[in-house]
Amino acid sequence: MTKHEFEVAMTCEGCSGAVTRILNKVEGVTFEIDLPKKLVWIESEKDVEFLQKTLEKCGKEVKYNGTK
Amino acid sequence: MTQRVNLCSVSLGVQGMTCGSCVQSIEQRIGSQPGVRQIKVSLEQKNATIIFDPSQQSPESLSEAIEDMGFESSLSETST
Repeated sequence: MTKHEFEVAMTCEGCSGAVTRILNKVEGVTFEIDLPKKLVWIESEKDVEFLQKTLEKCGKEVKYNGTK
Repeated sequence: MTQRVNLCSVSLGVQGMTCGSCVQSIEQRIGSQPGVRQIKVSLEQKNATIIFDPSQQSPESLSEAIEDMGFESSLSETST
Protein backbone atom coordinates (compact mmCIF):
# COMPACT_ATOMS: atom_id res chain seq x y z
CA MET A 1 0.00 0.00 0.00
CA THR A 2 1.20 3.47 -0.78
CA LYS A 3 1.00 6.13 1.89
CA HIS A 4 0.17 9.60 0.62
CA GLU A 5 0.57 12.81 2.53
CA PHE A 6 -1.91 15.61 2.00
CA GLU A 7 -2.03 19.03 3.55
CA VAL A 8 -5.62 20.08 4.20
CA ALA A 9 -6.53 23.53 5.51
CA MET A 10 -8.31 22.28 8.61
CA THR A 11 -8.80 24.73 11.42
CA CYS A 12 -10.81 22.86 14.02
CA GLU A 13 -12.21 19.50 15.09
CA GLY A 14 -15.26 20.16 12.97
CA CYS A 15 -13.05 20.33 9.90
CA SER A 16 -11.08 17.18 10.74
CA GLY A 17 -14.35 15.47 11.66
CA ALA A 18 -15.72 16.32 8.23
CA VAL A 19 -12.61 14.90 6.57
CA THR A 20 -12.94 11.77 8.71
CA ARG A 21 -16.56 11.28 7.69
CA ILE A 22 -15.76 11.80 4.01
CA LEU A 23 -12.91 9.28 4.10
CA ASN A 24 -15.00 6.78 6.08
CA LYS A 25 -17.38 6.65 3.14
CA VAL A 26 -14.59 5.62 0.77
CA GLU A 27 -13.78 1.94 0.65
CA GLY A 28 -10.27 0.58 0.76
CA VAL A 29 -8.76 3.55 2.54
CA THR A 30 -7.00 3.78 5.86
CA PHE A 31 -6.02 7.19 7.12
CA GLU A 32 -4.57 9.22 9.94
CA ILE A 33 -5.19 12.90 10.65
CA ASP A 34 -2.88 15.29 12.44
CA LEU A 35 -4.97 18.36 13.11
CA PRO A 36 -2.25 20.66 14.56
CA LYS A 37 -0.02 19.98 11.55
CA LYS A 38 -3.00 20.07 9.14
CA LEU A 39 -1.82 16.80 7.64
CA VAL A 40 -3.76 13.79 6.44
CA TRP A 41 -2.01 10.52 5.67
CA ILE A 42 -3.91 8.14 3.48
CA GLU A 43 -2.97 4.56 2.74
CA SER A 44 -4.73 3.41 -0.38
CA GLU A 45 -4.29 1.80 -3.76
CA LYS A 46 -6.42 4.50 -5.34
CA ASP A 47 -4.75 7.19 -7.39
CA VAL A 48 -3.77 10.56 -6.00
CA GLU A 49 -6.21 12.46 -8.18
CA PHE A 50 -9.14 10.52 -6.78
CA LEU A 51 -7.98 11.04 -3.20
CA GLN A 52 -7.43 14.75 -3.78
CA LYS A 53 -10.93 15.13 -5.30
CA THR A 54 -12.38 13.28 -2.31
CA LEU A 55 -10.62 15.54 0.17
CA GLU A 56 -11.64 18.66 -1.73
CA LYS A 57 -15.30 17.75 -1.13
CA CYS A 58 -15.04 19.22 2.34
CA GLY A 59 -14.55 22.62 0.73
CA LYS A 60 -11.05 23.18 2.06
CA GLU A 61 -7.77 23.75 0.31
CA VAL A 62 -5.89 20.52 -0.35
CA LYS A 63 -2.22 20.21 -1.21
CA TYR A 64 -0.46 16.98 -2.12
CA ASN A 65 2.89 16.52 -0.40
CA GLY A 66 3.91 13.27 -2.06
CA THR A 67 4.28 9.75 -0.81
CA LYS A 68 5.66 8.96 2.60
CA MET B 1 -38.74 38.79 -20.84
CA THR B 2 -38.54 37.75 -17.25
CA GLN B 3 -39.22 34.22 -16.28
CA ARG B 4 -41.16 33.78 -13.12
CA VAL B 5 -39.57 31.24 -10.88
CA ASN B 6 -41.12 30.03 -7.68
CA LEU B 7 -38.40 29.77 -5.08
CA CYS B 8 -38.49 27.40 -2.17
CA SER B 9 -36.95 27.78 1.22
CA VAL B 10 -35.73 24.92 3.34
CA SER B 11 -34.14 24.67 6.72
CA LEU B 12 -31.76 21.78 7.17
CA GLY B 13 -30.27 20.61 10.42
CA VAL B 14 -26.47 20.39 10.20
CA GLN B 15 -24.43 18.47 12.75
CA GLY B 16 -20.69 18.53 13.15
CA MET B 17 -19.86 22.19 12.65
CA THR B 18 -17.72 23.60 15.40
CA CYS B 19 -16.30 26.84 14.13
CA GLY B 20 -16.68 29.72 11.74
CA SER B 21 -14.51 28.08 9.13
CA CYS B 22 -16.89 25.11 8.85
CA VAL B 23 -19.78 27.54 8.40
CA GLN B 24 -17.89 29.41 5.72
CA SER B 25 -16.93 26.38 3.69
CA ILE B 26 -20.54 25.15 3.71
CA GLU B 27 -21.87 28.55 2.67
CA GLN B 28 -19.34 28.76 -0.14
CA ARG B 29 -19.72 25.24 -1.43
CA ILE B 30 -23.49 24.92 -1.20
CA GLY B 31 -23.94 28.53 -2.27
CA SER B 32 -22.19 27.72 -5.54
CA GLN B 33 -24.47 24.77 -6.37
CA PRO B 34 -26.78 25.37 -9.34
CA GLY B 35 -30.20 26.61 -8.32
CA VAL B 36 -29.14 27.87 -4.90
CA ARG B 37 -30.08 31.52 -4.52
CA GLN B 38 -29.23 32.20 -0.94
CA ILE B 39 -27.78 30.33 2.00
CA LYS B 40 -27.47 31.22 5.63
CA VAL B 41 -25.73 28.83 7.99
CA SER B 42 -26.10 29.23 11.73
CA LEU B 43 -23.50 27.73 14.01
CA GLU B 44 -25.56 28.33 17.17
CA GLN B 45 -28.73 26.78 15.79
CA LYS B 46 -26.85 24.05 13.89
CA ASN B 47 -28.85 24.59 10.77
CA ALA B 48 -28.72 25.96 7.26
CA THR B 49 -31.48 27.99 5.70
CA ILE B 50 -31.39 27.76 1.93
CA ILE B 51 -33.46 29.54 -0.68
CA PHE B 52 -33.40 27.59 -3.92
CA ASP B 53 -34.99 27.02 -7.29
CA PRO B 54 -37.05 23.80 -6.97
CA SER B 55 -36.56 22.98 -10.65
CA GLN B 56 -32.82 22.56 -10.06
CA GLN B 57 -32.57 21.41 -6.47
CA SER B 58 -34.63 19.62 -3.87
CA PRO B 59 -34.32 19.55 -0.07
CA GLU B 60 -33.01 15.99 -0.50
CA SER B 61 -30.30 16.97 -3.00
CA LEU B 62 -29.20 19.86 -0.81
CA SER B 63 -29.05 17.65 2.24
CA GLU B 64 -27.00 15.17 0.23
CA ALA B 65 -24.62 17.91 -0.86
CA ILE B 66 -24.02 18.81 2.80
CA GLU B 67 -23.50 15.16 3.74
CA ASP B 68 -21.06 14.88 0.87
CA MET B 69 -18.97 17.54 2.59
CA GLY B 70 -18.72 15.41 5.68
CA PHE B 71 -21.43 16.87 7.88
CA GLU B 72 -24.56 15.19 9.14
CA SER B 73 -27.63 16.76 7.68
CA SER B 74 -31.30 16.26 8.40
CA LEU B 75 -34.42 17.60 6.76
CA SER B 76 -36.39 19.59 9.24
CA GLU B 77 -38.92 21.82 7.56
CA THR B 78 -39.88 23.04 4.12
CA SER B 79 -41.93 26.06 3.27
CA THR B 80 -42.68 27.67 -0.04
